[in-house]
Parts: sequence; structure tokens; C-alpha cells
Amino acid sequence: MPSSASAPIEATGQARSASLERLVARNYRNFGDLQLELPEAGAMIIGPNGSGKTNLLEAIYYLEIFRSFRGARDAELVRFGEDVFRVEGTVRTGESRDALAAAYQKTGRRKKVELDGAEKERIGDALGTLGAVVLSLEDADLVCGSPGRRRRFLDILLSLVAPGYLASLQRYRAVLAQRNEALRQGATGMVEVWTEGLVEPGARVMAEREAWIESSAAAFARYHEEIADGWTGRLAYEPALGGKADSREPAVGGGVAENRAGYGTEDRVAAWKDELRRAVSENRERDRRRGSTQAGPHRDDLAIRAVVEDSGEERDLRAYGSGGQQRTAAIALRLVEADTLRDKLGRDPIYLLDDVFAELDRDRAARVVRLLDEGRSGQVLLTAPKPSDVELRGGGLARWRIREGVVFTDG
Amino acid sequence: MSAIESLIGEFGRLPGIGRKTAQRLTYHLLKGRPEDARRLAEAIDRVLAEVKPCAECGNLSSEAPCEYCRNSRRDPAQVCVVEEASDIAAIEASGRFRGRYHVLGGHLSPLDGVGPDELNIARLLERLEVGVSELIIATNPSVEGEATAAYLHRAVSRFPGLRVTRLARGLPVGGDLEYADGVTIAEAFSGRREM
Repeated sequence: MPSSASAPIEATGQARSASLERLVARNYRNFGDLQLELPEAGAMIIGPNGSGKTNLLEAIYYLEIFRSFRGARDAELVRFGEDVFRVEGTVRTGESRDALAAAYQKTGRRKKVELDGAEKERIGDALGTLGAVVLSLEDADLVCGSPGRRRRFLDILLSLVAPGYLASLQRYRAVLAQRNEALRQGATGMVEVWTEGLVEPGARVMAEREAWIESSAAAFARYHEEIADGWTGRLAYEPALGGKADSREPAVGGGVAENRAGYGTEDRVAAWKDELRRAVSENRERDRRRGSTQAGPHRDDLAIRAVVEDSGEERDLRAYGSGGQQRTAAIALRLVEADTLRDKLGRDPIYLLDDVFAELDRDRAARVVRLLDEGRSGQVLLTAPKPSDVELRGGGLARWRIREGVVFTDG
Repeated sequence: MSAIESLIGEFGRLPGIGRKTAQRLTYHLLKGRPEDARRLAEAIDRVLAEVKPCAECGNLSSEAPCEYCRNSRRDPAQVCVVEEASDIAAIEASGRFRGRYHVLGGHLSPLDGVGPDELNIARLLERLEVGVSELIIATNPSVEGEATAAYLHRAVSRFPGLRVTRLARGLPVGGDLEYADGVTIAEAFSGRREM
């Protein structure tokens, strides 16, 4: 059933904001031909499990990073029995509009990204045009999951906001693959020629991660404390230099913190180059024994801790957090991500909230709602299995229902 | 397989040519004058019969030794190492280099099973034994090209008087600073010059 939009909701206060005006999803997951006009303030989308709520947010966020935020492969996103999916969106910022489109074809594994009708040769050139952040029930995984999960978080965010990050990361991975293959083949003398190639892009990746973590630590602490009521949050960079876990509290950085916009200053890149070069050289024997490179940003981690200020009690949430604590820390991390995007975009991002309030108690949910409302005016698309009394954007969200991949906008 | 299909298949194996283009080329040849198509076939025959890698430098040439190795006005004391014979044309177009060349025939890539033995390196080391004073390494600034350069640098360290240089990297002429990637800009910074 084709769906039409309900009347647009009045604009919220802030001067510059952006919204997704129109969304088309064809043969994406369980959508056949979904066409939606979205209200400027956003919508609350209610539907039972398996109806396509998360798929809807995933389709929208596909226009941000041109991948599934759930980590699914592109081929899995194509509707059963089909060969091609296509997602289109129109983003309005003030009076200007950007048309984004992405399509993927299973045969030939071809991905196509268009911005304002022109196909982008490099997908990286259209990355982040939408300007959106996802908060998901599954985000607890960000905190309690493997270090790779947190690296992925940093990599996606920094690819969106830090110029050159993605190129450095790709180059680092290319050298790493060659070096590891040389290690596996066991040809002595053929390993070291790849080492210097790791150092430059690797140091750049490390400096960007460090700079973001340092500049975000204070905001993370604040959000965490507000949601968790008493426990403050700590973020720290744990570079993998081949020794024991090496956690860098923000103070060690030296000169990055005051330079919030300057991700990865050249001084820090130079310092990381020296450290990485030394670490790789020290691990030469271990690398050879294990047949892979042990030190380097491909094994970094982001430490997430909670601290009770009065008693000084500290807990590493990655290993020892309760489910509730981990969800709290994940939400705080996503709010910092939203702030980072706002700094970069000069406007609020679009908030895609996937059933985030489901496992929070009433008080916590209310505090999260307040954080999402105060000073934030970005469009909100919120999914939930049942109607709830959560009020965002002054109660201005349209109430939609979703069932078996069809969205009903008539309330 | 029909004659048409087999020609489409052959074109389609060439780099940068997809099935659609392969079809267009095939029908273009069939629609045109037969002598045009025959000239193409003969040109292919001729390069196959005449062109061989130069025993001295590895350049592809119908002369032996190749035009650069036999040209006595080119300085044999300067040798420029490139990955592919086609790189020579790009350097020649600049008109800046008057020495000799050496073609490796690729770059190191463990993932593709290419090690030093698969490249034309042994012959290079032989050439360095006599009368070469500068080796200019002009492999690509790619991940693999850089590693190949690093390997060569190490391999020639046993020639004490040899000057080893690497082509400078940095911003492309006519390029826009804001579109350059971080690695390129960083390289350009470390290679900055006095004005």
C-alpha cells in the first residue's frame, strides 16, 4: 500500500537543521517499494518484531555510510528473490536539497552511489552527506563486544569527520595484508620492506583516534554521569603497541586537547610514527612466530570505564559492566558521536533511535529523553514495538505504524 | 563458441574493457572495412613477432638492445628503475631524464605470489657492477611500489659508492590542496623547499 505523509510538523527552534524529506527503498530487506515523505520533526514508528523497523533505519543510514550499520553484507540487504536494491533520500538543509541514492546489484557485486544525480566514482566522496547518528538497543555491544566493535565505531565516525582518515586506514590495511602474507610465507628479509609502509598511515590513524578520544572525554563523562546518576564515565585510548594493555588517560596526550578541531596534529603523528616503528621492530620475533603483525592500530581498543567520584571506585565496563551500565555508556558514546557530527556539519544530525528505551527503567529513559531534547533539534525517527509515552521534540513526532515492510502514516 | 563470441571474449579479457565495450568493438570491426580489421590483426601479429624484452634493461622493444640502451648520448651512469615498460613513456614525455632505464616487470606482492625472484632484479644488480653512479628508484608510490623501493634500497647497499634516490612525492601540479589526501599532504610537507 503506497503511503502518503501526514502534514509536516512545525519546525523546531534552532536556526540550522536538516531533515530527511523523502525516502525510497526498493527491494531492500523486506521492503518492496517503500516511498515515504517524512515530517520535519520526525516520526515514531510502531510495529511488532520482524515488521521492518530496524530495516527502515538501516536503509536510511545506508545513505550515510553506504553499508549496513548492523554489519550485514550488501548481498544480504537485497530482498529475497531479487537482484538489486536501491535506496534514495532527499535531505533538506535550510533551503537547499541534496538527493542521495545508493544501489547494489548481487550479480557482479556492483555498488553505485549517486549524489544529486551524478554517480560518485569513489564512495568516500559521498560519505556523511546525510548527517545521521543511530542509537540502537544493540549498542550495548559497543561496550561489551570485542575490541573490533569499538574500532569499527571509531573508524566509521572518523571517516565521516576527519579528512584523510579513511584513505590512511585503507592504505594501512593494504600494507598490513601484504606484511602478514609475507610473514605467513616465512620469507626472511621480505617482511621488513613492508614495515615502513605501515608506519605513516598507521600513525595517522592512531593520532586521529587519540585526538578524538581526548577531545570527547569530557562530554562523555558528563553524559554518562547524567544518565547513570552518580557514576561518571571515562574514555581512554588503548593503542596496541604489542605490550600489555597500554591505556592512555587524556592527560598524557600533550597539546591535543586544546585543539579540538585539529584532529591528529602533525606533532602527534610524528610521535606515533616513532612509537609504532619501535613497537613493530620490538615485536619482530613474535610476528614471525605467530605469522601476523602484533602491534599497530588494527589491534587498538577504546577503554570505557565508570567511576564513582566519591569513593574512587572504578569499573571497566567492557568486562565488568552490567547490561544496564553498558547500555548507558553506549548511549553516552552515541551522544558524543552526535556532537562530533554536529561540529563537522554545522547542524544537528538526524537521530535514528532504534528501540533505545526498551530496556531502560523509567528514570533513565526520562534522562535520556532530556539529553536528546535539550539543545538538540535534529529530526528524530524512533522505532518501538509498542506505543509508549516517550515524548520527543515537544510531542511533535508523527505516529506511524509498520507491518510486514509497509508503513502506515495515517496514525 | 561462435567466432563472434570468441572475439568478444578476447576483447573482454583486456584491462578496462567490460562485456558491453567488448561487444561494441567486435561489431565495429565487423561493420567496418575488412582491411581495417586485418590491419589490427597484423599489428598484433607483428608486435608478437618483433617485440622482446631488452636483455640489458627489460624494456619492451623491437630492437635488441632497446633504443635507450643503444643510444650513446644517454648517460649509462644514471639508471632509473621502473615497474613496467609503459612507465618509460611517461618519464620520456617529461624530457627531464637522459640516463638509462631498468624495467622490473612488476612490484613485490606476497598476496599475488610475487617475490624478488619474479622480478628483473638479478640483472639490475649485475648492471650496477660496472659504471653506474646513481640509481633512481621510480616505482609507483603505491603500497607495493614503496615496499619494492625499500627492498631495492637494501639490495643495493653493497655498492658503496652508489647514490640511491627516490622520486619526490607531493602535490600534483594543477591539483587542489583541499582534495589531496592526508598522506599526500604530509609527504608534501616533509618535502617542502626553501623559496
